Amino acid sequence: MPQNVIPLPDDPRYMDLSYPEQGALTEEERNLDTLPPDQRELARKFWQAVKSDFRFNEYLRGCLNCGVCTSGCPAAKFYDYGPREMIQYMMRDAVDRIWEFVNKKVWACVQCYTCSMRCPFNNEIAGLIMLLREYAVQFALPSAKEILAPYRRVLYTVLTLGNQVTPDMIQPEAFPDWGPQAVEESKNMDVYRKAIPVDLLQRTDIGWHASLQTAVELMTIMFESGVMDAIKNVDPDLYDMVSDIYEERKSQLEEIREKWMNGELKEEDLPDSWLDL
Amino acid sequence: MPANRVLVIGAGPAGLSATKELQALGVDVVLVERESYLGGTPKKLKYSLLFPELRPASEVLDPLIKAGEAVKTRYMESIVDKVQQEGDNFVVTIKDKNGKTYTEKVGAIIAASGFEHFDSRRKYEYGYGIIPNIYNISDIEGMLSENRLVTTKGTPPKRVAILLCVGSRDATVGNTHCSRVCCAVSIKQAMEIKERIPDAVVHIYYMDIRTYGLMEDKLYWKAQLNYRVGFIRGRISEFMRGPNDTVVIKGEDTMNLNRALVVPYDMVILANGMELGLGSKQVAKVLGLEFEEHGFVRPMDPDRLPVLSTRKGVFLAGAITGPKTISDSITEGQAAAIKAYEYVSKGIWEEAPRKVAAEVVKH
Ligand code: SF4
Ligand code: SF4
Ligand code: SF4
Repeated sequence: MPQNVIPLPDDPRYMDLSYPEQGALTEEERNLDTLPPDQRELARKFWQAVKSDFRFNEYLRGCLNCGVCTSGCPAAKFYDYGPREMIQYMMRDAVDRIWEFVNKKVWACVQCYTCSMRCPFNNEIAGLIMLLREYAVQFALPSAKEILAPYRRVLYTVLTLGNQVTPDMIQPEAFPDWGPQAVEESKNMDVYRKAIPVDLLQRTDIGWHASLQTAVELMTIMFESGVMDAIKNVDPDLYDMVSDIYEERKSQLEEIREKWMNGELKEEDLPDSWLDL
Repeated sequence: MPANRVLVIGAGPAGLSATKELQALGVDVVLVERESYLGGTPKKLKYSLLFPELRPASEVLDPLIKAGEAVKTRYMESIVDKVQQEGDNFVVTIKDKNGKTYTEKVGAIIAASGFEHFDSRRKYEYGYGIIPNIYNISDIEGMLSENRLVTTKGTPPKRVAILLCVGSRDATVGNTHCSRVCCAVSIKQAMEIKERIPDAVVHIYYMDIRTYGLMEDKLYWKAQLNYRVGFIRGRISEFMRGPNDTVVIKGEDTMNLNRALVVPYDMVILANGMELGLGSKQVAKVLGLEFEEHGFVRPMDPDRLPVLSTRKGVFLAGAITGPKTISDSITEGQAAAIKAYEYVSKGIWEEAPRKVAAEVVKH
């Protein structure tokens, strides 16, 4: 709130009277009072952060309010959701609406990019949705936590192994949409995996094998590029877990390298797979 | 001094109206037309009634066509192939459809080669040319004037949707301009359809209705008051082929947040907009003219000298400089004729002053 705000009775008739005294409220502040008091500041900060992202003004150009984005949107077909509504809130700095949107609806989008491709104003709509999501994760909003929770295992394997899904993750509860097929697959996954007649490690806790060095490099990228920072707030446990693994593997790699350099390791002594270390 | 002889390129409303005035002023006219008939696009597409007065197009066009027929030096099915400056005059090479060339010497040129309708096939998600019963407003004119407004089943449509701004106001096809006339034409067509099929449901899907000026009540209001045409705010995003040759539209009713519309119609009409087209591009190239940012030809000064081109002795009239109504084009034809007359009879050629930057006080 600006400094010179004079407290006024909670009566809409006074709203216009305040204008000459304290000036107009900024658009961001105008509708804030529709939010619970404890969320207002965070909502405003969130929106400021999104707006000051370097991509924001490239992505948001303007809007004809034509509805092409929403009418072609597959998510809009199933949810009370539409990209036009988001664009309109953004164009109007409607912090309260954006806040509501980001706390639920923003996760309905499937990132198909139909809206971006068809928008006659050339807005990068799907990109703006991604922007909201990125900041929702960074701000560790409850909706982001909730949405990411089922993906914890996926995130873990991606970050540590470079695998998105491992065979043992094919479980009926993780893939309810796969139907009876997933039940069937999951029952005998071990057997199937072992029966594959080429060298695929024949195990179910890993999809493919990245070397120790590759795994360490992958994790380094995740840390350096800020991916881990993004996760830090939304899932601190996962962050700690991955950090520990990272440190451990890094020292393993370091150790092996040192031994090799000192001629203490012969080629045949090099571990085939760090999985067994 | 330039010769008292003017080449008019294009025999549509603008070119013919310029021709008519020049003849009245005693200037010799050379008329070049790409097609085999006079009257331009309104003739080609057999325009039915003209908005806003709903009068037959022929009433407006026929007197102009008559003026065109009175021109002795007339090249039909021909184009201007080459233009060479010779002192104050132009030596013009005209090529007919057999490749035979003719040379004419003129003192001034009026470029009035007009526009082309946007080809709706470029909006591939609309399925024009693939899904039956989707038409352009430019197709519907002929169907109305020839009284054959029927669907592929041979019966009159009972549910009609008209979608505005096809190929206009759309950065995905590179056209960010408004074509100015399609709102009016569409509403006029809606009324013509209701006149023929009173129990038909006609819906116009719009973002804005631009029946500017004196047309507002004669079209937008009248269509609701007298014909109960429905106006739904939202641009359709795609069409699907429905059962029994119906067309299913997909849009958002933007007056109701996130309310999707999936509605069948017997016939869908696309209000395709205006572009410069290849014909006028060729003319501009031969004459060495400049283009403005929407791809139309740039006049010397769009406010002060709208019918002068950037090349001395070359004048512009009609939709070559941007989307125009027929009456606008006729007005510009008359203006270009006067300017060309001043030029060939008195040598008057104005230059636009240098652009001055507006001074603004920043607060
Ligand atoms: S990218 Fe998202 S918002 Fe855009 S059309 Fe696809 S699902 Fe809808
Ligand atoms: S498609 Fe683009 S212009 Fe149309 S409503 Fe969506 S964001 Fe706005
Ligand atoms: S005149 Fe109407 S239909 Fe045509 S481009 Fe402009 S707004 Fe769209």
